[in-house]
Amino acid sequence: MTVSTTSIVRPRRTDRRIGRMVLASPTALLSLTWLIGLVAASLSAPLWLAYGPLDQDLTAVLQGPTAAHPLGTDELGRDLLSRIVTAAAPTMFIAMLTPIVGVAVAIPLTLWAARSRRAELVTNRVAEIVLSLPGMVIIMAVIAAVGTNMVVVMSIFGLLLFGAIYKVFFGQAKSLHQQLFVEAAAVDGVRPMRASLRHVLPNMSTTVIVQFVLIFGVGIGMQAGLAFIGLGPQPPEPTWGGMIQAASKFIFQQPWMMVPTGGVLALTIIAANALADVLSGGAAKPPPLISLRRRRLPDAGNAAPAEPVADRELVIEDLVIGVDDGPQLVTGVSLRVAQGTVMGLVGESGCGKSVTSYAMLGLLAPGLSVRSGRIQWGGLDLARAGESTLQRVRGHEIAFISQEPARALDPMFTIEWQLAASVRRLRNVGRREAKLVAARLLTDVGIVDVPRVLKSYPHQISGGMAQRVAIALALAGTPSLLIADEPTTALDVTVQAEILDLLRSLVAERGMSVILVTHDLGVVADICDTVSVMYAGEIVESGSVRDVLLQPAHPYTMALLASDPHTIAELDDTPRLASIPGQVPAPGAWPQGCRFAERCRFTSIECRSPIPLDARVVGEGVVRCIRRDDVQGREQEWRAPSGAGGRS
Amino acid sequence: MLIFVLKRVAFAILTLLVASAVAFILVHLSGSTPGGVALGQSATPEQVRDYNAAIGWYDPWVVQYANWVGQVLQGDLGVSLIDGRAIDADIAKRLPVTAALAILGTAFSALLGITMGVAAAVRGGIVDRTITVISGIMLSLPAFWVGVLLVYFFSVKARLLPATGFVPFHVDPEAWARSLVLPVLTIALTAAAGIARQTRASMAEALTQEHLRTLRAVGTPTTRIIYVHALRGASLPILASIAIQFIVLFGGSVIIEVLFALPGIGQAMQAAVGSADLPFVQALVLVATLVVVVVNLALELLTLALDPKLRAS
Repeated sequence: MTVSTTSIVRPRRTDRRIGRMVLASPTALLSLTWLIGLVAASLSAPLWLAYGPLDQDLTAVLQGPTAAHPLGTDELGRDLLSRIVTAAAPTMFIAMLTPIVGVAVAIPLTLWAARSRRAELVTNRVAEIVLSLPGMVIIMAVIAAVGTNMVVVMSIFGLLLFGAIYKVFFGQAKSLHQQLFVEAAAVDGVRPMRASLRHVLPNMSTTVIVQFVLIFGVGIGMQAGLAFIGLGPQPPEPTWGGMIQAASKFIFQQPWMMVPTGGVLALTIIAANALADVLSGGAAKPPPLISLRRRRLPDAGNAAPAEPVADRELVIEDLVIGVDDGPQLVTGVSLRVAQGTVMGLVGESGCGKSVTSYAMLGLLAPGLSVRSGRIQWGGLDLARAGESTLQRVRGHEIAFISQEPARALDPMFTIEWQLAASVRRLRNVGRREAKLVAARLLTDVGIVDVPRVLKSYPHQISGGMAQRVAIALALAGTPSLLIADEPTTALDVTVQAEILDLLRSLVAERGMSVILVTHDLGVVADICDTVSVMYAGEIVESGSVRDVLLQPAHPYTMALLASDPHTIAELDDTPRLASIPGQVPAPGAWPQGCRFAERCRFTSIECRSPIPLDARVVGEGVVRCIRRDDVQGREQEWRAPSGAGGRS
Repeated sequence: MLIFVLKRVAFAILTLLVASAVAFILVHLSGSTPGGVALGQSATPEQVRDYNAAIGWYDPWVVQYANWVGQVLQGDLGVSLIDGRAIDADIAKRLPVTAALAILGTAFSALLGITMGVAAAVRGGIVDRTITVISGIMLSLPAFWVGVLLVYFFSVKARLLPATGFVPFHVDPEAWARSLVLPVLTIALTAAAGIARQTRASMAEALTQEHLRTLRAVGTPTTRIIYVHALRGASLPILASIAIQFIVLFGGSVIIEVLFALPGIGQAMQAAVGSADLPFVQALVLVATLVVVVVNLALELLTLALDPKLRAS
């Protein structure tokens, strides 16, 4: 259970926050109105009810709703409305005893346990034992001992719920204790108990109230249940459970009798649970990575791609990706990856590289979608392809390996199981053959101890090994294009080099193409043929690696080169590692004109108008800079201390 | 591994001792005495006192408790004060009824709950909100009320199923099944909500895991990703919530058993409490705790077997 920092900084705000949450939610208001209204109606019942709860009228037994008895009568002609309302206040007050006792016992023990390791051991054990006691059975044994005195019974029920309450409280108290401010208070010499009371308890108030309300609902249900089996307050005293029990006996003669009592009981518990739900912030869930539904682009009609696309060649034209009902993340990206070549896609975090690479295989998370443009793979437009077409491309023709090898594999299955399952599907082979292929794939990616790795779970192997396995998995369908999203970022330098060697040999031996997403220009220099530099959702420069890295045309490329530790060694006359001031602007906050202008040393007034991609001044490729003629060859200026270089 | 199991077994024994001590103390705190209950209203105080003395009721509690534990360890749960029959035989006869109820009830709640939870997590949007509201209501409805309503619709109105009563399996399997339909349906409708909520939460978390992207990238069909990989990843907390449901059902079966007149251990507990059958109450607390402890132990071993990370360590 995590606690937002704002609530820690201002603990005293909690009560007001709860008040606001209730006021803001119609559900909570309605629930609260029902609960309070019921108690008020019950307490004032003698003043307004036409009949007492025990008044019998044998001439009007088992009636449905009538003018005199709006909710009908029971088997002795007693008014159901009167009985239900009269029973409400005692039921609800007694049901309060359960959370009062449970919370009153749990809070001091929680605070004590959160503070001391030894106390934690003891209370955890006690809580676990209490949790293991069969509550309902013990409660009945209690009734055997003390009779149907509901005050005692429901208080003891509160004790029996201690285990469950404590578990919830302790989780939060522990995390609060690990927060800095409690430690700080302890260092300041505040007595530990006072520190807990002042800093921990107020921050737990929402949890405490939520638990209180939930257990109140449980208490209502328990009371009614006991009364239903005849172990509650004895007749003729009206109880909800007892009345439902009576109704069940007359279900043939007057089924209506079930409705009002059961309805009121159910509504009361629903109100308590709904209130608790609202207070606990509802049931928000994290956005999933996968969804059954996917927003699809309308057909492009007859418009053919601008240039013919060869088989096994990937051409992206004017790709626009956006958050559904939100900002655009990638605008007008165009790329071309010819067969057997390696293209680097470079940029800082947040430039849209990964999103672009996900889009190529229709792997965008739900909530993101391609808005326009084409992703042409041979004759297919993957931006418009349906799930079944993508299914035929994924793994078979284009494969993907992701950033964190440790999280790329399913932790619940062995490597053999995962590899073999993919091999079976991708190569259409039997179970036994798939296992053989899996072993061969692992050998191909340079794993020495194949039998052991096959039997391992992902957490049992190293990151470098996991990345090799992920590559083996990607190769299972003999794809022509491999998209590698930062394949070496999470790995040690020595392992990085090995993985790059592996990729290089795959290109050389199998004629595969690779799209390498990275922020590391050293890696690009090492393995790529072409490179595209992305900044704030658009391509700012692309061309051959030689041209772009040795004669950068865009100030952002220059800045990246100047701040890259690998290139420093090669361009040796420069002792300084540059840093780029500021950060990538967030999607939706992009400036008009050049998106890099804010951080650029060469910014001038011209940079504020929209800037097209144009041919580079030197070499092949394109660049998106209005001042490309002026800035060409001035990459050294990025290495000067910022400010001193000045803006021209 | 072995040490872990031994520790858990020792803890289970400790829990049983605590539960038996609680039951023992409660019984001795009650106003009734075995003599008073067994001999009935007509007995003289002397006769009652003699009866109690003969069974050691006036011995120190520690001695009595030790004697009882010793007796239980030999497999003897004592005799009923009401009819003098052996308690263990009676419980043995009733256990299958409650077990069938709890097992079938849990199975169907799990089926319904997992289906609802997965649908809510996977579909999202309006489906999610609808299921969340429905499960909130299901969670709040008292089982006995739902049970009576089902009786009304299926037995009184439609005359499809028996309202109450029980036929043992070995007498007539079909009648046995028919007698369990409504009780199990009642349980499923009220107990599924807890499992549904846990499933929704675990599944929603599992659906954010990075490896699902890898699976999609190698062309794994979406349904397989959801129902094999994500559900497997979410399985352990779901399993725990099912175990909790089973425990609650086993201990709380009394209401369903009374409602549908099923001769299980819950109904016996209700009768024993009503008639102050003290040794029976004590024995039933012990048996119910034993079930909890065994299920918890089984759950822990199962978790150990199902979680590769735990298994390895």
